[in-house]
Amino acid sequence: MTRGTLRFEGRGIPVEDGDTVASALFRAGVRTFSRSLKSRRRRGLYCGTGECPNCTVTVDDLPGVRSCVTPAEAGMRVERGRGWPSAEHDLLHVTDLMHPLMPVGFYMKTFVRPRFAWPAAERLIRRATGSGRLPEGREPSRTIVRHAHVDALVVGAGAAGLSAALESARASERVLLCDAFPIGSQVAPGPALDALHAHEAEVRAEPAIEVLDGHAALGVYDGPTVAVASAGELVQVHPRRIVLATGATEMHEAFPGNDLPGVWLGRAASRMAARHGVSIGARLVVVASTDEGLEHLGTLVAAGANVTAAVVPAAFVDGVPPSAEAIVDGELVSARGPGRVRSVIVRERGQERRLPCDALVLSTGLAPRDELVRMAPGEPIELVGDAALAGDVPRVAGGYICLCEDVSAHDAEQAWAEGFRSAEILKRYTTATMGPCRGAMCGRALAAFAAARSDQTDRGAPGRTTARPPSRPVALETLAASVHEVIEKRTSLHETHLAAGAELGWSGGWKRPFAYGDPKDEYAAVRERAGLMDVGTLGTFLIAGRDAPALVDRVFPTRVADLAPGRSRYVLALDEAGYVADDGVLCAFGDGSYLLTSTTGGAERMDARLREWTHRLGLHVHLLDRTSELGAILVAGPRARDLLEPLSDDALGTDALPHAAHGEVTVAGIPCTAIRTGFVGELGFELHHPRSRGPELWSALMRSGEAFGVRAFGLDALELLRLEKGHLYVGQDTMPDDTPAKLGLDRAVDTSKEWFVGKAALERLAAIPLGRRLAGLTFESGPPDAAELRGTPVFAGGEIVGRVTSAATSPTLGRSIGLAWIRTAEGELPADGLRAGDALATVAPTPFYDPDGERLRG
Amino acid sequence: MAELSTTRPGVTAVLGSAEACELVSALPGACPVSPVEVAIVGDASITALRQAVQRVDPDAVVRDVSDGWVLHTLRGPGAREAFARLSELELPASGSVQGAVARVGVRVLVEGDRVDLLVPSMLATHVLERIEDECRELLA
Repeated sequence: MTRGTLRFEGRGIPVEDGDTVASALFRAGVRTFSRSLKSRRRRGLYCGTGECPNCTVTVDDLPGVRSCVTPAEAGMRVERGRGWPSAEHDLLHVTDLMHPLMPVGFYMKTFVRPRFAWPAAERLIRRATGSGRLPEGREPSRTIVRHAHVDALVVGAGAAGLSAALESARASERVLLCDAFPIGSQVAPGPALDALHAHEAEVRAEPAIEVLDGHAALGVYDGPTVAVASAGELVQVHPRRIVLATGATEMHEAFPGNDLPGVWLGRAASRMAARHGVSIGARLVVVASTDEGLEHLGTLVAAGANVTAAVVPAAFVDGVPPSAEAIVDGELVSARGPGRVRSVIVRERGQERRLPCDALVLSTGLAPRDELVRMAPGEPIELVGDAALAGDVPRVAGGYICLCEDVSAHDAEQAWAEGFRSAEILKRYTTATMGPCRGAMCGRALAAFAAARSDQTDRGAPGRTTARPPSRPVALETLAASVHEVIEKRTSLHETHLAAGAELGWSGGWKRPFAYGDPKDEYAAVRERAGLMDVGTLGTFLIAGRDAPALVDRVFPTRVADLAPGRSRYVLALDEAGYVADDGVLCAFGDGSYLLTSTTGGAERMDARLREWTHRLGLHVHLLDRTSELGAILVAGPRARDLLEPLSDDALGTDALPHAAHGEVTVAGIPCTAIRTGFVGELGFELHHPRSRGPELWSALMRSGEAFGVRAFGLDALELLRLEKGHLYVGQDTMPDDTPAKLGLDRAVDTSKEWFVGKAALERLAAIPLGRRLAGLTFESGPPDAAELRGTPVFAGGEIVGRVTSAATSPTLGRSIGLAWIRTAEGELPADGLRAGDALATVAPTPFYDPDGERLRG
Repeated sequence: MAELSTTRPGVTAVLGSAEACELVSALPGACPVSPVEVAIVGDASITALRQAVQRVDPDAVVRDVSDGWVLHTLRGPGAREAFARLSELELPASGSVQGAVARVGVRVLVEGDRVDLLVPSMLATHVLERIEDECRELLA
């Protein structure tokens, strides 16, 4: 019964009950379903089971749809992908006649010279290839990604798969059963299908089995993990074992004319006749050498097809209907065109015969779908049903081995002659098995080709190629659905910053304020009055336990044994090669524990470093990452103490809390660990507080500072403030192989310590002259904003001798300053004659600002 | 369907020797983080815990770390299904696991149809947004 029409390249085509897109098109007279990739040969329906590439069309703007397994719907828009101006009349078919121009491996041989012509050739090739156009401007569809943990994953829901699933479930296993297609859709109506549906009902009634039909298993990965996907869902299955019941396809054989429209595999032909009531031709020749082939022959005849001849082994003669001539033990030589099958040549008792026909039906063996097991050797995979068959060996006697990639037997011969002498390297060179069928059709033919020749050479490696995911076609959009890269860390003051109009940006995985307005005003507030900065992003660690002093003594090169309770110290962290990996501030407490702050971006590495060395040194240390638990606000500027004192009853003067000291104080009723730091070069208090109290503390500090003109400041202002002090950022101003000496940080290394991480390397490196150093620079006659110089090379004469890592124009100093690594000559920095861009650069001592540190000690 | 709620429960960190941690790892709300660290979700007497573990490891650390954590709770028949969209961790019938949820380190407590995700405060919004996006059809 007709259920409306679909639109095919502008014309209406009736859709009948049970139609696939392919059956509807074929009934309406379409014979050329696609054009081949390179030679643009006509391709017609062939496998009928969703394996081969021949029937792929564009459906509703989605290219690459296999029409033979896609149910037809009224209103669908269907087009053929390749073909210029059309698939029916494709002028690019001329490439089939120019085969010498496109030999096997042509992309390495032709279109190479002249080189200037390559861009034009590339454009041409790009336009000529592909299989349809992706729709533009389409919204990504929603794909649900989920994980499933089961005892058994059964792939394939045919009779073998359904049995395996039931057996597992009855053994109290949790089972996931998947199949690329709806259950039973590959089976012709009849007793076999009825039995399958009865079996299916049993499976669906079993609560321990989750059935995912229409979900293809794409690949087996370590674990094992199996990716199983449908159009709207990607399931990552984590099974304890895998049962492959993926069945077998009918064997694809290579002989002259094997790719002509009108050459059918038996399943496609009998389904078209029995299920869709479509006659595949007026005169059929059937070649059947399997029981299944004989069944297809019976099905076709029963459906009224005119089978004129059947090429069968002697044992099958009785099964050939009287209306057809039985050609016993005949050999199919070739199919002849042009354009479609018009006759076949059969050798019978040494004589070749030409049999006129318009359809050739082949059923000569089975090729198990075993790619998932060939993908994952060593994983717990069991093959059942037809998938476990050894499979037949296809004949390769001409024609096309690989339909997807247009690789002919001649191409394979040529590749073999060029020295590509195993299935694996033939695959790489010819691209056979790498197309949309993923080797399901051609893999065995390629292996058979190699195996037949490998005894002629001792280099040959017979056997199948390793299969690669995806084993079935899948949209990139489906695979990409599981990828969500952005992880945003936030401090408790996130909303406060947004309310203040802050411009937030990424810094070490956090969203942080870069500026709240004009960074120059923020800078001025810190230098002249007071500023507040959210530094809750710093890594913060409690290091406790009886061996805590031993750990910090060994992990950091800095002397820390003399760090008295209540004092803090700048520390470096080196790796075992002696290179600077991070830095931080270590605060000692009276109970033998420490609070360590690390850089924002380095917190996770610091955590890993401390844990690793605790373990390696066998120390009794308790490490608690407090980064998430503590907020921190830096109050900095000459009026910082004036701002804090009204909010606290604790002593905050230089006697009680001098520079590089820390103490427990209460500010605005909130308990804080106050660390006197000087990163910005002014009197500064870093108030580490319970995260939940952050907004409250920030508001109290802002209110208290109103009278002094306090400002919140962000990373832009900090960049200038710290640069004036010559403080470096590990990562921005350092290179991966920077030692403390190269950075001028020898003061943070105590070589008299017996041992610390990186000490042996530093001792070895000490004997080698420094190849470069990080140095302070001042710039003259450069750009008005020296920040533009960041990243520019530093020249001495005409030679590049370094690179500017940080640069800024300092309003306080009235000049442009920066940091740069500069190559040394015999251990010395060049005295003058340096340039960075248009600016003259001079090496200058750091800090540039307040070199004696009087302000930060205030 | 699953209900999603966010709370800030008490969280206590116990850091000590393996023997000391074993003492507390079976307490209600206990989430073993490593052989030498246990997080305990819910009201706990820090003094009592400290006394107990310090008998075994005298310098064991017991601290209130509530500010560092936020609890996102999925509750209802769809809770486990929702969780499966966020993580490849296999949930036990009851107990705790830890690992990547929405690509960040999360401690998970599970009991029947209730899945508690103990998330570092700094990542609470990230995880919440991922839950709301990935599980939108499942949330009541």
